[in-house]
Amino acid sequence: MHLLPLLLYAAAAAAYVAHFAWRDPRVGRLATALLGGGVLAHTFLIGMQTVEAGHAPLVGTSAAISAFVWLLGLSYLYIELTSDERSMGAFVAVLLVALDVIAALDPSVTPRPPLLRSPLFTIHVMSVLLAYASFALACVLGVTYVLLFKEIKAKHLGFFYTRLPSLQVLDVMNSRAITVGWIFLTLGVIVGGIWAAKVQGSPDPRAQAMSLADPKILVALVSWGIYSFALFARKVIGWSGRRAAYLSSMAFVVVLLNFVLVGYFLTTSHNF
Amino acid sequence: MRLFAVGLSHRTAPVELRERVDFARGGVETALAALASRGVGRELVVLSTCNRAEIYAVGDTDTTADGVGQFFSEYHHIAHTQITEHLYVHRGADAARHLFRVAAGLDSLVVGEPQILGQVKAAYGVASDGQFTAALTNRLFHSAFTVGKRVRAETGLGEGAVSVSYAAIALAKKIFGDLKGRGVLILGAGEMAKLTGIHLQSQHVKQITIASRTLLAAQNLASRLGGVAVSWDGFDAALAAADIVVTASGASEPILSRARVEDAMRPRRSRPLFIIDIAVPRDVETAAGDLDQVFLYNIDDLRTIVQENLARRGAELARAEAIVDEEVARFTAWMQSREIVPTVVALRQRFETIRRAELERLEPKLASLPPEARTRVDEVTRLIVEKLLLTPTEQLKSVSDEAMIVAYADALNRLFSLAQDTEKAKGGVASEEESEVSS
Repeated sequence: MHLLPLLLYAAAAAAYVAHFAWRDPRVGRLATALLGGGVLAHTFLIGMQTVEAGHAPLVGTSAAISAFVWLLGLSYLYIELTSDERSMGAFVAVLLVALDVIAALDPSVTPRPPLLRSPLFTIHVMSVLLAYASFALACVLGVTYVLLFKEIKAKHLGFFYTRLPSLQVLDVMNSRAITVGWIFLTLGVIVGGIWAAKVQGSPDPRAQAMSLADPKILVALVSWGIYSFALFARKVIGWSGRRAAYLSSMAFVVVLLNFVLVGYFLTTSHNF
Repeated sequence: MRLFAVGLSHRTAPVELRERVDFARGGVETALAALASRGVGRELVVLSTCNRAEIYAVGDTDTTADGVGQFFSEYHHIAHTQITEHLYVHRGADAARHLFRVAAGLDSLVVGEPQILGQVKAAYGVASDGQFTAALTNRLFHSAFTVGKRVRAETGLGEGAVSVSYAAIALAKKIFGDLKGRGVLILGAGEMAKLTGIHLQSQHVKQITIASRTLLAAQNLASRLGGVAVSWDGFDAALAAADIVVTASGASEPILSRARVEDAMRPRRSRPLFIIDIAVPRDVETAAGDLDQVFLYNIDDLRTIVQENLARRGAELARAEAIVDEEVARFTAWMQSREIVPTVVALRQRFETIRRAELERLEPKLASLPPEARTRVDEVTRLIVEKLLLTPTEQLKSVSDEAMIVAYADALNRLFSLAQDTEKAKGGVASEEESEVSS
């Protein structure tokens, strides 16, 4: 059962790539339907796990990645259905599959330690994950912007030129995704800080490790800094277009490293 | 019932003749009514565009086609001899194929142009509103709309600009999205500048600014395009404000150096600038195109894009033709089932009637037989009839050529005098065709 969303995501990714390459609208609709099915199956899975465990399955990096995949799928579907623009799907769905494979390696629901029994924990995790989902979309938009930009600049109008929306649209959507992501990340960091201060007296060693010395917290603040700079650069220095696109793609690499690599191997405060 | 397409197009007739047979001028409804009053054809659709005049008609014999041909000359008061060599006549499946190719833009002057599908829809709409259409033309035109939609959705036939101006506008849209609210600066006031300006104006750009060596020429063009003229030495502010710059000055030295463009870019920050240099010799230094967020295209770049688009359209032709083939096959199968199924049904009914009649005639002799034997006789006679009809039925079902269908149906009608039965079978065909034909 826990593999069903992954299988549907993989099928959707294949269909999105096929649609991107051959632009058959039937394949496009199939891709959307498969992704919708994947998100729905994923919703059921998360719902069942919540009922079984008595709390939302957000404990541990695998569970967080799984929830992130679910949120990203959901936000992408929302954007696709409201903008009627399917070309990003090929990039987003591939990212979904890659991350869901990692999550599927450890499908068990980790019991919630006493430390995490707080609504603040849920708000913290959900806001950060929403922020990451927005940043993931911004990254995809940035990458596609650069691809299209290079084609137009090189006067070689081909593959991406016929498939992607205009540079302007990509840039505006990128700006929105960064703004939304930054708001949620800020919220997540603040709530995380309040919660960490509250649990300082806890005997749990992880509560003691909640400090800037912990790589997960440090890198999260670094990425908050990068995205704050991206916003500032766009609004004040006028870095839009190609520079903003590069920045949002690079910044997401930092987020991804923190989320997956640091989350699994390096952190001492967030290893639930 | 046969389908005919009679007409002329840019492929067969010169523009002088096409102008004279324009049905749209006097109103397509009037033409349809005039044609219907002659009793030519039962179902009628008139398709009249600047590149073609065609009449789709359903009739029983080739006289329908002749009648429509006559109508072309008499309605427009043109000598029949003058028009007849330019007219083409397509029958049955060929007529369907012709319409499907027209709807897909395959028969257009600019292959893949999208307007024709709308024109076909409008032509059908007029005929349908006037109740000149019925089952056959309804099905035919709806299939044509399907072909048009499928070709547009499944192939790249209509994609890519095939003229330099459209290529430039398509590029601008790929950079800026909607061109509404964008500013345009045109350097030069010659013919090329004017043409490009008109194209841009049709995109509802926010403002067009024109600079030319002679201020008067700039002012003239500005009033023509609803823009403003600025002096030749003072266009730098307009350059910094513009999103799209068209250069067509005819100067012998570049007027936009890299440094000048760089200066204009500074206050714009990252706002892109699209420079279209259609002047020969070129007006913009090539190095200006290396600046970040500057997209510089000269006339040769645009021509190359047009060439590539044309080549790509050529590659998509085969895919579009395959879609036409598929839909023609589907339409023919439908048409064929309409034509041949009643004949098959009538033929089988005729055989069955004969069998029953013979059994009844033999009834006194068979009465003495035991019931099992009588059942056996009934079964054997039925099997003989089945066996006799098996091959002809299969053969009839495999006929795909519409003319052959008519010929076969006609022959069978005569040989077995089925005429009345066929008419009767047509009424009940909907319920019987499945069981009768598939047996």
